[in-house]
Parts: sequence; C-alpha cells; structure tokens
Amino acid sequence: MTFLCLLFVMSGLPRSAAQGVPPPAADLPEQLDEVARVGSVMVDGDLCERIVTQRALTYMFEVDPRDRWAAGDNYDVDDAPFIEVKKTLLRLSHLVPFPADVNLWMPIKGRPDKIRIVIRNTHEMSQFWPWGALYQDMIPQMKTVLETGERITVTEKPGWISVLAPVSDSLGDVVGVLEVVTQTQSDAHANVK
Amino acid sequence: MGGRSANAKQHRRTMIREITNRLGLGFTTCLGLCLLAAPALRGGVANLRAYPEYLRVDPFGQIVPEDRAAIGTQAAGAHQGQGRRSISLLGARGGYVSFHLVAELSGDEGYSLELRLAPENSGIQTDVYREWFHSIQNAKGYYPDALIPIQLPYSSRLPEPDNRISGQKAQAFWIDLWIPPSATPGLYHGRAVLNAGRNRATLPIELKVLPADVPERDVVTVDHNSYGSSWLGDQYPGLAEELPDFYSSDAFFHLIQAYHRIFYEHRGVFHQLGYGHAGKVGPEFAPALAGAGRNRHIANWDLYDRHYGPLFDGSAFAGTRRGARPIPFVYLPINPEWPASFVNWGEPGYEAEFVNVVSEMERHFREKQWTQTRFEMFFNHKKRYMGFPWDGDEVRFPKDNQYFVEYARLLKKALPPDTPVKFVFRADVSWDMEQQFRELQGMVKMWISSGGILSWYQGAARMLQERGDLVWYYSGPPGVNEASATISKFPFQAWLWGVDGFVHWLAVDPGQDPWFRLVDGTTTVVYPGDRFGREEPIPSIRLKIQRNCLQDLALLDSLRNRHPLEALKSEAAKRYNNSRLENWWNPRPPFADQPAFEWTNTGIGEATSRTSKMLESIRPDAWADVHAYVMQLISEAP
Repeated sequence: MTFLCLLFVMSGLPRSAAQGVPPPAADLPEQLDEVARVGSVMVDGDLCERIVTQRALTYMFEVDPRDRWAAGDNYDVDDAPFIEVKKTLLRLSHLVPFPADVNLWMPIKGRPDKIRIVIRNTHEMSQFWPWGALYQDMIPQMKTVLETGERITVTEKPGWISVLAPVSDSLGDVVGVLEVVTQTQSDAHANVK
Repeated sequence: MGGRSANAKQHRRTMIREITNRLGLGFTTCLGLCLLAAPALRGGVANLRAYPEYLRVDPFGQIVPEDRAAIGTQAAGAHQGQGRRSISLLGARGGYVSFHLVAELSGDEGYSLELRLAPENSGIQTDVYREWFHSIQNAKGYYPDALIPIQLPYSSRLPEPDNRISGQKAQAFWIDLWIPPSATPGLYHGRAVLNAGRNRATLPIELKVLPADVPERDVVTVDHNSYGSSWLGDQYPGLAEELPDFYSSDAFFHLIQAYHRIFYEHRGVFHQLGYGHAGKVGPEFAPALAGAGRNRHIANWDLYDRHYGPLFDGSAFAGTRRGARPIPFVYLPINPEWPASFVNWGEPGYEAEFVNVVSEMERHFREKQWTQTRFEMFFNHKKRYMGFPWDGDEVRFPKDNQYFVEYARLLKKALPPDTPVKFVFRADVSWDMEQQFRELQGMVKMWISSGGILSWYQGAARMLQERGDLVWYYSGPPGVNEASATISKFPFQAWLWGVDGFVHWLAVDPGQDPWFRLVDGTTTVVYPGDRFGREEPIPSIRLKIQRNCLQDLALLDSLRNRHPLEALKSEAAKRYNNSRLENWWNPRPPFADQPAFEWTNTGIGEATSRTSKMLESIRPDAWADVHAYVMQLISEAP
C-alpha cells in the first residue's frame, strides 16, 4: 500500500484527473504498459484465486435445458477478496490521466481452452469481453501471457489498446491476467445499460 | 436560459405538428345523418371496413391468425366476426375509443382516405395512424403494429410503397377518437370515405359519449423501462449524424422528452436507467462531479438540468391532452461507483463522498421545487457482470442484503429529515423477496417484484402498502404475434392483485430492423419515427390497447364507491377469462421455506405453473368483454 501511495505522489495525478480527459494520441501504449508493469507487482494472485466461489465455478459449465439461467443465477463471489483486489485495480487505473480500466481475467482449472473475466471497472471497457459472458474461449494473447509471464500489447480492435500483464501467486505461478485498457476515442454512452 | 427557450420553441413545433395531425375534426350531432349500411361500390374493388381494436387485419384483408380465435365468440359476434360497413362506438369523457379502419382495394392502384366529419365545437378529436405491416422472424405472414401518424385526406397506393408487400390488397388504419372532459354527452355521427379511381366507399361512424369521466389518475402505474441512451443514436441515425454533439444537443433532450410524452399520453410512465453494471454513468444522467474524499462535490448541473428540468417541472408535457405534470418517478444515478468511488468503500471517504453529493442533490431539487417526483435510489448491478461483489438487482444470496442496509444508512444521513424532496429506496426483487420484505422494512420503500414469485405471497402487497411502501411487478411486452389482448393481462393482474404498478422491463428496443425483419416485438411498444421524418417515437397497436385497458381499469376502480371492489374484480376476471380471483395466485411452494439460493428456476416454473398456464393464451377479445362490462356499469350510473 505504501508503494502505491508513493506512485500516486510521483505521478502527481489526483484521482479526479482521470475522468473525462481524452487520451493523448502518442504514448498511450507506453503509459498503459507502465500501469500493467506496476499491476503485475501489486495484484495478489492468491487473493484473486479466492474471489469466485466454488459454487459459481461448479455451475459455470452446467447445461440444464430446463434452467438456462442456472450458471448466472449461481454466480457468486467472496466479497472480501473481490473488494480488496478491485480497489487495487481502481487505484492502478488512476495512474494515467485519461479514462482507463484495469480488468482481471483468470483461467479456469481443467478448462485450458476457456478464460473468464473476474473484475471489471468504472469505464466498462474491455477489448475482449463479449458483454454478459461468464466465460469465453481462451484468448491467444492471454494464453501467451499465462504461459510466458510476459506483457503483451494488443491493438487488434480499431481504436482499442490493451496491455495484458501476468498476475502471480505466492508460488510464482501465473494465475491471472490484467487487461489495462483504453480507447483512443472514448464513448461516454457505451455500456450504460 | 437559452436552453429553456430553445426547448420551448422545439416543443411548440412538436405541438403544432401534433395538432395538425389531430385533424381538428369534430364530430357533429347531425342526428339526421343516415347510417348507410352499404357503401357506394362500383365494381366491388373499393371497400371500407371497420374492425374492433382486438381484430388486426393483415395486408391481404385477413384477420391475423392469433386474433381469429375471437371470431365466433360473443364479443366478436357483435361485430359479425368480419369487418363491418359501419361502426357504433361508446366512450367516456376524458378518454379514447379506438377501432381499425381497413381500406380494401383490388390492388396496385391509388386511393385517398378521409373522414368527413362535420366540424363542431364538440372538442372531439380524431387521430389517424397508418398501420405498418411487419414481417416477423420465425412467424408466417404479416402483423400490423407500428402506427404512423398521418394527416387526412391521406393519399397513397397499394401496395404501400414503403411497406413493400407484394400483392397487398388492404391497408389498415388505427383510429383514435379523443373525447375531452368537456365533451357534451350524446350521439355524434360522421363517416369515413375511400376513393379509388372511379370507385368510392363510405363507412358511417356513430359515437355515443357517456356522461361518465375517465379518472385522470390511473389505478395501476404502467412503467416502460429502458437502459442508457446510446439506443437513441442508433434509432435516429439521421439526427445523430447531423449533430456532431448529438448527446448534448437540444435535439437529444427533446427526443428523450418525446419518449416521456408518448408514454404519458398513453397513460404510462418512462424510466431510463443511467448507469452500467460496473458503475459507468451516462453524462446526462448525473451532475458532473469534482474532487475526492471530503472535497467531492457537484461541479456542474448543466446537462442534468437540461435533461430533467422540463420533466421535473412538467413543462415537457405542456400542450398534451393530459396536461403538464411532473414525471412521477425517476432513477437516480446512484450506484456503488457513484457518487462515491468504490475505491473508498468501507472507509470514511466513501461516506463523505456519498453524503456530500446526495445532500447537494437534495438541496438542488428542493430549491428548484422538484418535489412531485420520486427520486429512486436503485441498484441494478448483478455479480455476474463482474462490476461489484453483490447483487443489487434480484438478490439471491441473503448476505447481499447487508449492502442495502448500509446504503439506507447513507441515504438517511445525506437527507434532512423534513425534506420535501421525495427520495425513495427502490429494490427490484425476486428470489429473496420474502426475506427482504422483512429485513429491509423501513429502508426499501419501493418494491419491484417478480410477478411469478410474488404470486405465492397473496398478503404481501397489502402488508407492504400498509406500511407505506409501493409495490409493482415486472414482466415484458407480449409479442406482436400473440393475441391482441395479451398486453392487457399485465395491468389487469396488477389491479386484481391490488399492487400499484407494473413494469415492462424493456419497452423501447425494436431490434435492428423492425420494419422488415422484426424479431417479435417483446422488447418494445414504441418505434423510432426517424424513418418517417419524425424526431420522436411512434406508438404501437399494443401500446394503444394497453392504454384503453388502463382507461377501463381506472373507470372500473372508480366504481368501488357503488359496488364492492371484490365484486368488481370477480366479475371482471370472469369476463376476461372465466377465472376466479383465486386462480390469479399460486400456492406458496414448500421449497419457499428453504434459503432462496437453494431454489431452482425449474422449481419456480413449476410453482407458478397454475397462473402461467392460465395466462399463456389470452383470447383476443378477452378485454373487449371487460370493456363491455365497464361500459354497462357506467351507463347505469346515475
């Protein structure tokens, strides 16, 4: 926490400065990469693993033709780790002076072909999340991050920049991926739903 | 304010357009007018027929399959099951009567339609709409639903050029007759005339105005919900492209206000939720904030006031038939990320930010005298959308209720105890509603409940109302390809249950191509007018039928001083679907004693099967029978 406070002082950016300021065109990837680098240090992978409940994971892949909402209706989280990690993600997003989100993604044990988003944030931005999905097919770049622990910048979708960075646990294993994301032209009305 | 002035100008333009659309035609009491039963047909190629509102006709002159069930029943028999060559209507003052007018031609020819009604100072006004025929995915044939306002005389040809239906033989028009409260009771006569080449058909119209008045206030609030405002840019692409700053333009706010107006004029209300599941707030839904922690404050009200000012002071409704009146309900932008940042959740800074801003809002509303509207603190987010760790909407896990308790505390702290501004904590509830009713007593004061689960708790609505709470239930609009009267079951059930309102969870999304490939209409009851050069929504047949149902309910309920309310309900239910009042409830299932997180949707489905089976198929003329009962009662009134 002390380290984070130091970063805020160094950046000289009050939290409110991140609201509504259009991103400069030039060094966006570099700025996002720096947030991602710090995020990899600050986000606690063990904590992340405790967010989604076993009940939610059990129902996530259950297909019941008589109850097609079962997966969503049984989605639950342990709120203490969720809150702790989300606060860190929010603080990370305040390191840049423009609207950006830091989202947490995690793989699913026993389903290497799938990945899921676990925490989204204020600007509701993601280059990868199809709105509403509990899980989705593994994103190749995220697979690379999970396997190599390297950061990757993705600009596949026009107008979007995401930097993917590893989240590690206390054993040194990569257990999650941060998506530090912004748009070159933010849409104030998208995803207000 | 410049904005206010531009507002007024735009509103005047809209009103002038509305007035010209109303034709300004009054009915005359020309009692000597002969009701000619047969039109002057030459060669049988031009026909005018009238159908009751529950019989929709397709572009080939046939009643749509789902409404055909009405033919042969008692009510349909009164209309001979087919289009009539004259029509007699009965209505109360301060309300509408409606019917379909269908022009039948041999096809591929021009025609003109007019209503020749001798002008008179009756005040009775006629609104005429061309019915758009939709092709519906996964359904055969065409169904009319969107209603395009037209001016008479109306000239066109078949097939209607913009509807593009090969072989079209019939064009249907929805006719609304508005009977103002000032109308003199009695008989009024007029006629519709169709000209096609050398052929001509006339259809006599008789309207009997009763001395009864439709109450201004509805006994059931029917709400039409929506999310955000990006859909306005999608549905009005011309306007959005023309104005680079569309989302902060006067045109944008006028458009929003036009949506409020159309629902208001149809005896409904409109909600727009202004934030997303992770807390993103649309700029026009909240004042702009600045600062953090104890320094957080409102920096700018401009967009908020331009959006809501005319709605909260009622000026957005000036010139409407129902009169200028502030909107009764509105969502606040409050969510776990606004006005306090979730980064401070559980810390003194969260409370400081929340209390600072909500206190400022209260002060602003009070100073503006916006005291008629209920400002709803409502949490819509769900865990499954990964924004926050608790469900604000439809709590299933009881541990989530602790967050409601905390927000109730914060809200109470932010408001002066004697504030005249109506802040209300609203919760949309399903699984855990029984527990929430108990645990959140005195905190949540507005309950929007799942209709299925509420059907197990027959005494709940009264219990909540007795402690001063409001109770609505929710569902969604019926499909265009369901029987015409289906939409009446929602307000009717609300009235039978004794709850205060009903919500169509989404009422403004017609899909990507409503004109040539409508999905089914279950997410809309209005359509964008953009295609027809109108910067406003246009209504649907379902919205009109719902409005007429609400009028009847208001009238019926007003008779409770002369008839026991239970007797009115019993008779109405019998006429609607031959049901008894107890058939509208389900027994509380044994599993309701278990925690809600142990329930399944399958179990809920089985436990609500009695009412859902009863209501899955509504006769097209079901409401016509209730309407006839209402007309009979008010005709008997002294």
